[in-house]
Amino acid sequence: MTAFPRTATPALSVRDLSVNFGGLQAVAGVGFEAERGRITSVIGPNGAGKSTLFNLISGAIRPTGGRVTLDGADVTGRSPDRMLAGGLARSFQITNLFFELPVLENLRIAAQILETPWRAVLPLGRSRKALVKADALLERFGLTAKADALAGNLSHGEQRRLEIAVALACEPRVLLLDEPTQGMSHGDTADTGELIKSLAGDLTVLLIEHDIGLVMSLSDHVVVMAQGRKIAEGAPAAVRANPAVQAAYFGHA
Amino acid sequence: MREAVMTAVSLPRSPSRGPLNATHWLALLFLAVALVFAAVAWTTGNGFYLRLATEALIFAGLAMSVDLLLGYTGLLSLGQALYFGLGAYVSALVLRDGAPSFWLATGAALAAGALAGLVGGVIANRVKGVYFALITFGLAQVVAKAVYNTRELGASDGIIGIPQIRVTLGPLALDTADPLSFFLFVLGLTMAVYAGLAYLMDAPFGRTLAAIRANEKRVPFLGFNAWGHKLAVYVLAACVAALSGALYPMLRGFVSPELLFFHTSGNAVVTVIVGGVGTLIGPIAGSVLLTALRSVVGSWTEHHLIVVGVIFMLSVIFLRKGLVGALLPWLERRAAARARHGRRSAP
Repeated sequence: MTAFPRTATPALSVRDLSVNFGGLQAVAGVGFEAERGRITSVIGPNGAGKSTLFNLISGAIRPTGGRVTLDGADVTGRSPDRMLAGGLARSFQITNLFFELPVLENLRIAAQILETPWRAVLPLGRSRKALVKADALLERFGLTAKADALAGNLSHGEQRRLEIAVALACEPRVLLLDEPTQGMSHGDTADTGELIKSLAGDLTVLLIEHDIGLVMSLSDHVVVMAQGRKIAEGAPAAVRANPAVQAAYFGHA
Repeated sequence: MREAVMTAVSLPRSPSRGPLNATHWLALLFLAVALVFAAVAWTTGNGFYLRLATEALIFAGLAMSVDLLLGYTGLLSLGQALYFGLGAYVSALVLRDGAPSFWLATGAALAAGALAGLVGGVIANRVKGVYFALITFGLAQVVAKAVYNTRELGASDGIIGIPQIRVTLGPLALDTADPLSFFLFVLGLTMAVYAGLAYLMDAPFGRTLAAIRANEKRVPFLGFNAWGHKLAVYVLAACVAALSGALYPMLRGFVSPELLFFHTSGNAVVTVIVGGVGTLIGPIAGSVLLTALRSVVGSWTEHHLIVVGVIFMLSVIFLRKGLVGALLPWLERRAAARARHGRRSAP
């Protein structure tokens, strides 16, 4: 993997991002950069504000302060659909699919955004790019046999895979994955790790993950949060050795 | 690598088309039954039943507009009579005071429906769920009371004395006064609206509405503006209701504020639920059934609403997906059996 020069604009940059929930400072002045084509992980104990950080970046919540830039363009406070138009997609910690629709239809709807808007009122077959994309994702995520099953009838592991596939369908440049391996078996977790690794390069990945082994093996860069603040960042090995991280994250041993 | 996968897939699978395919067969069946009915009624010279059936089709249009919102998008409108009544009043005024032109009357009703739908949609879509239902109810009540108290619109009497007109359709022309030709015309129009809406609901636009119904919160994260889609379908539903309403004074020769009241909105919701939510053809069949029932039971007792109410409750409890919902699994099984048989006999 050839490194981009340090001066290149980061794919995603967060500066001094903050939000208050009725006096509670859920995220306080968090800043970091996600380098293009790399995997950046956000870790921290429960309640550190990781998912809130994702909600701020993806437009689910408006920040009360700070900046989010995508490829150098300020996108702070944009709605989720406009974030996606800017090339940023996300998955959810709690599986968030169209449970009463078939698996293929979940993917096709997610891929429809690749088509020009007026194709929305043309016959379905005219949205070929979306259909081909949905088909390719079925194959890639091993869901072809389940194409016509309702998303709500999949196993937990399959639903977690579909959750990532749906986020990928719009061909984003930046992908936010919120605990993709949540509740997965050991084997599935390893497979998902391989998958995430294969995504980087084309894609800039920002990952929230509780499996520390996975984080350490996958990440190019790790951001550590505790109580709404960033307490450390750096290469995985450096973060692991950081005493402040050990105190906050691995417990006061 | 990804490109290689994409080119290897030469023919994308088409996502399964849901129950719409089978409902198209039901629509053809309905059309056939309606034509047989028209032939029988015409040969026996029974204008009363033809006009009653025409009224059923007009209210079927209102029911389809409720189904667009309830069945496809998951929005319960308790005030769809607002747009139906608006279409009826605009059409009545154009026919009485303007020109006795079918196209002018329906065009004006459609324009008014679209404009009112845009305003109502912006207001109602500020809220969700039960609050959406209450806002649509409130909007319709406000307009109904305003019309009821406006002398220029005939107040509680409504507008009477609307002339019967001649509808010209290229080389064809028909009189709204002739029960058979007006029935056939409204039947054609209803089926055309059905076909157009069924097509749109199976196109990506309609499927995005289904996604909104299934999980509205996820939709913006796929790049769609959920609010914009809900507003668009609300305006479309208002237009369909206004178009149906525009036909009402052509049939009956009058309009009354009752068309705007909750009674009308509520009936449309009952029609959709009895007929089959999210099927479009179900609401058409439901409208015919309930109109017939009201007429038959109404000839025995004035308390026909009790019967309609009981049927509504029974269908909610026992036919969760309405009449059409009960028929569809059977139709789909037959279609699947035919497909299996076809494969076996293929070389």
